[in-house]
Amino acid sequence: MKNVRVARRYAQALMAIAEEQKVVDDVAGDLADIGRVLATSRELRALLSSPVVREGKKKAVFLELWETRVNRTTMAFILLLTHKQREHVLQDVINEYHALRDEKLGVVGADVRTAVAMSAAQERDLGARLTRSTGKKVQVRAAVDPAIQGGLVVRIGDTVVDASVRRQLERLRKRFREGEPLTNTHA
Amino acid sequence: MSEVRPEEVSAILRRQLAGFEKEADIYDVGTVLQVGDGVARVYGLSKALMSELIEFPHGVFGMVLNLEEDNVGCILFGESREIKEGDTVKRTGRVASMPVGEAMLGRVVNPLGQPIDGRGPISATQIQPIERKALGVIQRQPVKEPLQTGIKPVDAMIPIGRGQRELIIGDRQTGKTAIALDAIINQRSTHTEKAKREGVKPVYCIYVAVGQKSSTVAQVVDTLRQEGAMEYTTVIAATATDPAPMQYIAPYSGATLGEFFRDSGRHALAVYDDLTKQAQAYRQVSLLLRRPPGREAYPGDVFYLHSRLLERASKLSEELGGGSLTALPVIETQAGDVSAYIPTNVISITDGQIYLEPNLFNAGIRPGINVGISVSRVGGNAQIKAMKKVAGSLRLDLAQYRELEAFAKFGSDLDKATLATLRRGARLVELLKQGQYVPMPVEKQVVSIFAGTNGFLDEFAVEHVQRFEREILELIELKHADLLQTIAEKKDLSDDLVRRLKTILRQFTDSFKSTVNA
Repeated sequence: MKNVRVARRYAQALMAIAEEQKVVDDVAGDLADIGRVLATSRELRALLSSPVVREGKKKAVFLELWETRVNRTTMAFILLLTHKQREHVLQDVINEYHALRDEKLGVVGADVRTAVAMSAAQERDLGARLTRSTGKKVQVRAAVDPAIQGGLVVRIGDTVVDASVRRQLERLRKRFREGEPLTNTHA
Repeated sequence: MSEVRPEEVSAILRRQLAGFEKEADIYDVGTVLQVGDGVARVYGLSKALMSELIEFPHGVFGMVLNLEEDNVGCILFGESREIKEGDTVKRTGRVASMPVGEAMLGRVVNPLGQPIDGRGPISATQIQPIERKALGVIQRQPVKEPLQTGIKPVDAMIPIGRGQRELIIGDRQTGKTAIALDAIINQRSTHTEKAKREGVKPVYCIYVAVGQKSSTVAQVVDTLRQEGAMEYTTVIAATATDPAPMQYIAPYSGATLGEFFRDSGRHALAVYDDLTKQAQAYRQVSLLLRRPPGREAYPGDVFYLHSRLLERASKLSEELGGGSLTALPVIETQAGDVSAYIPTNVISITDGQIYLEPNLFNAGIRPGINVGISVSRVGGNAQIKAMKKVAGSLRLDLAQYRELEAFAKFGSDLDKATLATLRRGARLVELLKQGQYVPMPVEKQVVSIFAGTNGFLDEFAVEHVQRFEREILELIELKHADLLQTIAEKKDLSDDLVRRLKTILRQFTDSFKSTVNA
């Protein structure tokens, strides 16, 4: 998380140049591919974070890996990152770039947890309803979490809509124990 | 009574629970990045407000103190051990606040207003934020009513008015807390029928203990209870074992409670014991939140820390009910060093200071107030006329005495006038001594100081002064009770009264002389 600020700067720069050259989606695709490779290859992650391997060697590896597979802009960006000795933030940059792109397109992700799996129709319906209420294109990422006992929990950004049975039981317990909550006169 | 049928019960339950089910909870969350030493950094919470309460797991609450680009710095009001990196935290949507009301009187609470005296929940009706902006110029008026502390040197020479901020400063073990406690205990007299007749309005007290030993706080509460002072007093305790953030907010909680009384047209007295420890607690959380250190490693806003607290003490205008909040902050100095950072700050904010010295205290002059450098910048207007009349010459006599005292140590030949001044001074110093927890009503103080400044004590040895005072006050109480009552009600010494006092004193001196020689 410490690198979020650095990563955002690089991501913004990359976004700006990608827009200029009209390759925003291509770059996004490239970065997604690179992210997948990073997720699967432990050796590559080790290479990125290792300060021992020289810049030249790292560049050679990256060129061999991606030169023919990715966009020219993406490749140039990775080489720049390596040159600036910031290659260890690559994963953060990828996340930030996607976040920036989503923001531009008005897309938000919604993490939805339910006690039992939703049907495809339910998921579509929920997505449509969330899209209507937030005014943004909502992509539903569904997950099953039996711990919530029933109902569903939706998280969009920092905001959580908790309509789970677990939460209601918690509130009921609290109300029994403490009585009605006090009202804030300065609210 | 008709019996409750099971169907009815289930119908009620069903109705209640049905209503419950519809309420989906919407809240904002963040993730703990880092936690330790009473502070936490939280990622997310992008809509969090400054000084908003944040709910951590395990019932721990925190308060937002830093809003940064990608994280939020919080101080924790509970055990930070149970909180782990990656925990989810929730916004509560309300700023740190505390319950206020008459129900708080007689209770011992923590800075969030939760009772810690084991006497059950407090049924307060209102909640107020602990950080509030002090009132402006329009809402105030000058201090004009006295706040009697019942301590002779204070009421005579360093008078405190209702709505004033008077600093109590001195080294450790010089009786700072004793002065504050005596002032609280003396307010008992403002809650009596007698005070009502004399037009003295009751004063509610708040004692804020910051960073003290739990045993000391227990002792203070015990003393207040024994003296019958807890009935109108709330103790807010953030002891040395409480997390530093609690110690930091404690005085603000006290001010909030005091403001409740002030804003409802009543009078309140808040003792902050002590602000040195509060500044240290604030320094701790500031450094942990990585705010840059300044002088003595205190953060740059440590002046504002105290000024915004003490500005909340005020005397309201008549349109707003004329209530008041008097503040008695306490500062502990190291080896008498008043030019350290925190003491100079608080001295400049307050309307005067009561300066306590260890050598006076150890020489048996208790309270060990150095009246030479203690001042009250606004209280003079609030002093009752009778006291003003007798105290004027007291101040002068003592000043002359101090000046000559050093010379007299050489023991060389002194002229008659000098000897007389020294004699008078020594007796006045003796007269101003007073035991702990025995506050004296102002009318009695007037009589006793009147006797001293008019030379009725000069012919007796110093060791007889206290007996003289005790006996003359007994005599007047028994035989001339109307005289004390007149002073208390008229609040002035008419020429007639002066003549009467002098006659009584002259007669008493004659009879006292025989007991001394015998």
